[in-house]
Amino acid sequence: MANAYWLLNVRLETGHELENGDVTGTKTDLFHLRIEEGAIAEIVRAADRPDEIKPEGLGAGKASTGKVRAMEASTGGVRAEKARTGEEKAEGTGAGEALAEKAGAGEANAEALPQVDARGLLALPSFIEKHCHLDKTLLGDRWRPVRPAASLFERFEIEKNTLPTLATTMKERAETLLALLLRAGSTHVRTHVDLYPEVGLRHLEAVQEALASFDGKLTAKIVAFPQHGLLRSQSAGLVREALRQGCGLVGGVDPHTVDGDAERSLQQMMELAVEANADVDLHLHDGGRVGLDTIRRLAQLAEEAGWQGRVSVSHAFALSDMEGGEAEEMAGLLARADITVITSVPLGRTMPPVPFLHARGVRAAVGCDNIFDSWSPFGSGDVFERAGRLAERFGWKTERELAETLGFITGGVTPLDKDGRQVWPKPGDEASLVFAEASCSAEAVARRAKRPAVMHRGAIVAGSLEGRSV
Amino acid sequence: MNAAKAYWLTNVRLESGYRREEGAIVGTETELCHLRIENGKITEILAADGGFPKDELPRRDAKGLLLLPAFKEMHIHIDKTYYGGPWRAVRPANGVFGRIEEERELLPKLLPTAQERAEKLLELVLGFGSTHVRTHCNIDPVVGLRNMEATMRALDTFSGKLSHEIVAFPQHGLLRSDAAVLVREAMRQGATHVGAVDPATVDGDIERSLQTVMDIAVEADAGVDIHVHDQGGSGLATMSRLADMTEQAGWQGRVTVSHAFAFAGEPEAAAELADRFASLGISITSTVPFGGLIMPLPTMRDKGVRIGLGNDSITDHWSPFGTGDCLMKASRLAELYRFVDERSLGEALGFITGGVTPLDADGNRVWPAVGDSADAVLAQASCSAEAVARRAPRQAVLFRGEIVAGTL
Repeated sequence: MANAYWLLNVRLETGHELENGDVTGTKTDLFHLRIEEGAIAEIVRAADRPDEIKPEGLGAGKASTGKVRAMEASTGGVRAEKARTGEEKAEGTGAGEALAEKAGAGEANAEALPQVDARGLLALPSFIEKHCHLDKTLLGDRWRPVRPAASLFERFEIEKNTLPTLATTMKERAETLLALLLRAGSTHVRTHVDLYPEVGLRHLEAVQEALASFDGKLTAKIVAFPQHGLLRSQSAGLVREALRQGCGLVGGVDPHTVDGDAERSLQQMMELAVEANADVDLHLHDGGRVGLDTIRRLAQLAEEAGWQGRVSVSHAFALSDMEGGEAEEMAGLLARADITVITSVPLGRTMPPVPFLHARGVRAAVGCDNIFDSWSPFGSGDVFERAGRLAERFGWKTERELAETLGFITGGVTPLDKDGRQVWPKPGDEASLVFAEASCSAEAVARRAKRPAVMHRGAIVAGSLEGRSV
Repeated sequence: MNAAKAYWLTNVRLESGYRREEGAIVGTETELCHLRIENGKITEILAADGGFPKDELPRRDAKGLLLLPAFKEMHIHIDKTYYGGPWRAVRPANGVFGRIEEERELLPKLLPTAQERAEKLLELVLGFGSTHVRTHCNIDPVVGLRNMEATMRALDTFSGKLSHEIVAFPQHGLLRSDAAVLVREAMRQGATHVGAVDPATVDGDIERSLQTVMDIAVEADAGVDIHVHDQGGSGLATMSRLADMTEQAGWQGRVTVSHAFAFAGEPEAAAELADRFASLGISITSTVPFGGLIMPLPTMRDKGVRIGLGNDSITDHWSPFGTGDCLMKASRLAELYRFVDERSLGEALGFITGGVTPLDADGNRVWPAVGDSADAVLAQASCSAEAVARRAPRQAVLFRGEIVAGTL
């Protein structure tokens, strides 16, 4: 029973409230979750709690959180401030005698598992940040606005020249961003990392070092991203090397506009992917005909290579330019090749028609993309807020629509399925949760609920459950 | 604290000019200053490097926080929010009339807690830095003036913390719900503006609807702020006719159109109308829609139309969204219109301050000046541009010299 404990009083969604056939609310209940080896081993309704769980035993909880802390330390998830909040709690509940008695009871029962009390916070599946650039951010360095650039290529130059002059290191900045992502609730991150001849693999190394310091707190996948063009900057060799050194995906950018030869660029990207048995995530800003043709060809290549389910198109602005029957054709093509469309929900008209694609079975996901870098001064790093923006963008306002929005940042996982059946969490699921101050997913999404704590594989990796006021 | 009591707000960061490289603005210069606050006004500004003033006045240390002009929330409905109460998503409804129908049942149910929810919302808005609020308030046959009474009690609670305007808003149609008598009564009881909604589609008679609005406004010597969601020809016709009536009544500078979506239509007609609005001092208020409909706000501003921003619905039966944070609205506006350089980011602040920015177009400090009301936000940022782009955390909010939210 190593690394096992009870997570008490977690609010889970249990079903839909219906009125005249419309979903008008979400039913929830409190549960105790037994966490073991980073997974949810058992889920019991708080009202039917087994004898060994005494959630009202504050003393027992306090005595045992020490064990939980030790467990977290072993997985690298401990936070120095926990000790302090623990003390505050002891002061706040310091009803001397009762406390001592219960603490004594806790110690007497050596078999009893430690307990952590979530005190009614709503549990959500933890989030996936599907598109960011850890190497580009300026976070942690001084403020600077974006410098006007006449072209994309001038922007490359500005960025290339800016990054080496900063007072902070790339590793430090990437860590600042990772901390932000984690605090928002993302425990999995897909980051692109620039590869171009002038920097070689240095960005990759810095990002890998930053990720190493978050080991045990989140998981990550790195996209080998030839920002200046796979062909244009002749970066195939670098991409190949990056794939050997730990990148899980091959990236790319606008094969037509940047590389000037969509066919050869796409071919080469897919060859690199197949060679390294890696997935693909292409930046595609090219709109209209050119962009749509790029997607068509990519889908073809993906199917030929047997790469269904392994290819993403980020941004995919061209999908906002589909006309007439073309929309159905493209959606069919994307669904068949199981290509994921990733969007940062840019403000303005140009973005993929997510509701249309989703309804046709095309997978879609949300990422923050730029978070204060040489391209954009905006970006909060909060992918949950981005999901709310997606809902607002497409006018998703009802209980069901808002709750379903969550799926775009969880890899499709939502607590309830379409019929209101509880499908998450189940025993055996990884214990990666976000604790939110909300009554249900729909509220959390619409109101950007505060998230006091984030759990990854059973360990609290951001925030705290202890300092929470009830 | 006695408002008349003077004190020094020390070590305040003020913007002092633009930093340029090769002619381009690349940053903002700031300096630390001590501000003497007295009777709610800024009465003296000293550079901090000259040391502390040699007097016995109390000092409050701003510790280098950036001073921004306080924000103005120019369109909100504090009488209809669910905020502070239980969560409730939006129910499906059949258009605006379905929503109005929904209000028949909903508003009476909300009424008992209306004041409490309004107060919670005001607290939220104030905490983000808005010390002026223009709220619309339902005046309709269902609730009569009771929503407004609750609104006024809530605003009373915040007296001394923020200033406000109340728009008597016949949500169910000024003509359609025969609400003119009620609106007149609302004006007598303290509403500052006459409201209305879509004279074309809701009231079905642009001319008579607008004429009634203007008659009431003139009678009550009050401002006007009408919701016009109508797009295309009917929206333009409504606003154009409103411009005529504004001119006839001599109501220049006293009329606002909220939403004004028709400006997002045919560019030539929109530009022409924008010129008229600018010359008549008709302002518009926008929530900065960012999807299907995009307002030409930068163009309108450049033509001289005064533009304010508002959060509008904050979790109510119309919309579950809304943060109450005006700085976030300004940030969204900047992001939408690609204001990414130092100057345009800094200028975006003007959309939420009634046009006040610390620096003018040439980079001269124009705010704060001695004599200005001490309405300000202390933010953790190095300059306005950063505050807008990064939605800087706000440490404290000052209204007429008093700290009304946060602490130092």
